[in-house]
Amino acid sequence: MRAVVCLKQVIDPLTPATSLALDVQDMKIRVRAAAPPVINGFDEQGIEAALRLRETIRELEIVCIAASERFNTDVMKRALAVGADQLILVQDPSLDTWNSYPVAYALAAAIRQIGGADLVLCGRQGSDWDNGLVPYILADLLAMPLLTLAKRVNIADGKRVEIERVLADGSMTMEAALPAIVTVTSELGALRMPSVAARLTAARKQPRQIALADLGAGAPPALAPEVIDLAIPVTGRNCTFIEAADGPGAGVRLAETLLETGAVRLGMER
Amino acid sequence: MAGILIVAEVDAGVLRPEYWELATVARAVSASIPGGVSVAVIGADVAAAAQQAAGIGPDTLHVIDDERLANPWPEAHAAALIQLCGELSPQMVLAPRSILGAEIAARLAVRCGWPLLQDVVQIEATPDGGLQAVRPVSGGAVAATVRIGAGPWVVVPRPRAFAPAAASAVAEITPTRHAFAPPPFATACGTPQRVAVQGLSVDRAKIVVAGGGGLGGPEPFTLLREVAALVGGAVGASRVAVDSGWVQSTMQVGLTGKTIAPDLYIAVGISGAIQHLVGCSSSQVIVAVNSDPAAPIFGIANYGVVGDCKEVMTAFRDTLATRAAQAGRAV
Repeated sequence: MRAVVCLKQVIDPLTPATSLALDVQDMKIRVRAAAPPVINGFDEQGIEAALRLRETIRELEIVCIAASERFNTDVMKRALAVGADQLILVQDPSLDTWNSYPVAYALAAAIRQIGGADLVLCGRQGSDWDNGLVPYILADLLAMPLLTLAKRVNIADGKRVEIERVLADGSMTMEAALPAIVTVTSELGALRMPSVAARLTAARKQPRQIALADLGAGAPPALAPEVIDLAIPVTGRNCTFIEAADGPGAGVRLAETLLETGAVRLGMER
Repeated sequence: MAGILIVAEVDAGVLRPEYWELATVARAVSASIPGGVSVAVIGADVAAAAQQAAGIGPDTLHVIDDERLANPWPEAHAAALIQLCGELSPQMVLAPRSILGAEIAARLAVRCGWPLLQDVVQIEATPDGGLQAVRPVSGGAVAATVRIGAGPWVVVPRPRAFAPAAASAVAEITPTRHAFAPPPFATACGTPQRVAVQGLSVDRAKIVVAGGGGLGGPEPFTLLREVAALVGGAVGASRVAVDSGWVQSTMQVGLTGKTIAPDLYIAVGISGAIQHLVGCSSSQVIVAVNSDPAAPIFGIANYGVVGDCKEVMTAFRDTLATRAAQAGRAV
């Protein structure tokens, strides 16, 4: 049985917003400092879901696949360090895009080339553009049922996948026959830390690089809106700094200011 | 051919509040999109919700009322919406950015091959028959302006980015009922287990007092709880505070936590990484208290205090407590 986990390399969301630089020539968001990228946090949880499944399904093969214009290989190899059997990196200049379709087409073609998957795990969304569209396109291309927002994933009898799906105020169970696609959400829990031994083993493992041209991915439809401008948003907020002689003085002034402006009303109903 | 089709999501029998915001978006662009404004109500036992939805005075109201749509089952709800779109051929579909709404919008867009505009905060029709929209990316640190040619389009506005439309006098409108005729389902779902929220949850509170790494440990959260109790608010936290084990994860605001838009957001000891800003930048008024004057959080704050968080918040709490006691005596 094989689980494929789809990964995306993104700007580290713990980067301060002030260190982002906008390239309005190419319509790209870059990081000014030399901060390394990360694996999209939701995708990391997809790896964690796969690792948990392997605790009971010992023969489960875990293959991680990412598609991008370029990779920070050390960052992506974290997937191997935590226990993935294989890491496949599909690289092509056309994948430097916020458009979900070329990325999903590349991922689907890579999945087909390795002989398919019983279960495809994806993060619920990318932490950068937050389109959340790749899993839907993949489900369409691979003709697999799609279950979304799993905080728990279970495989029953090797034939069906069952998930617990999060709702705004609770959860519900969902299921589908394999092969299927499942998206995971943060409630599933963080990716485990790799052991030192695993990290050393992973350092010797190499990702498999595949050129997009060798995949026969087909031409994706032109459905994404065109980005015509990027800007640091004008929030309409101008920060008024509360000046006072010391911390306690500032606390008093802040309370008075918020009461005067009506932002805080005491005895408000909950 | 219908012009604009608004998805009126019904959650546990109740029309979701984003509906009125979608009506505002529809009114703003309807002059440029011929075919009028239609509403789709999908669910089970939705007669009351449909009547309420008629309050915006749509040109037509379409209802698919079926037992199989009783639960928030994405595949079934998407099938109903795809069916309606096949019958009505809308130019624009407006769906709420709720868990179910965003999902059926994505399923519709992929199935029909229509462009999807996600998380839109501004939108206008362009003279060439297309759309131009603004949407936040990287947690709202960047605003992207996007353009798309001729429709149909699927548009998912960001909650609270548009003012809710007022319900006009309920127009007499006879809903058009459609029999639900879905293709075979590939997924199945159980009955939702809904949990009662303990105390005031961050995503429903009008005031949220949130703490981050700058607090240095779990103890100052007691102070934040006292402040929250005084102002009738909830306590939130940044990822640093949750990952450090100071507070439980249900309080987390941000990319991997909750996206909230309270009237007042007080961020204490939170620096303002993208991770966090994505969850709180839609708040009406933001107050930042931080010892670092260069903290990015001040860039989105209305009021800022540079100082020791514990000192500032202790005096803040005491001042509010004194005023509350005075107000209590005056009554």
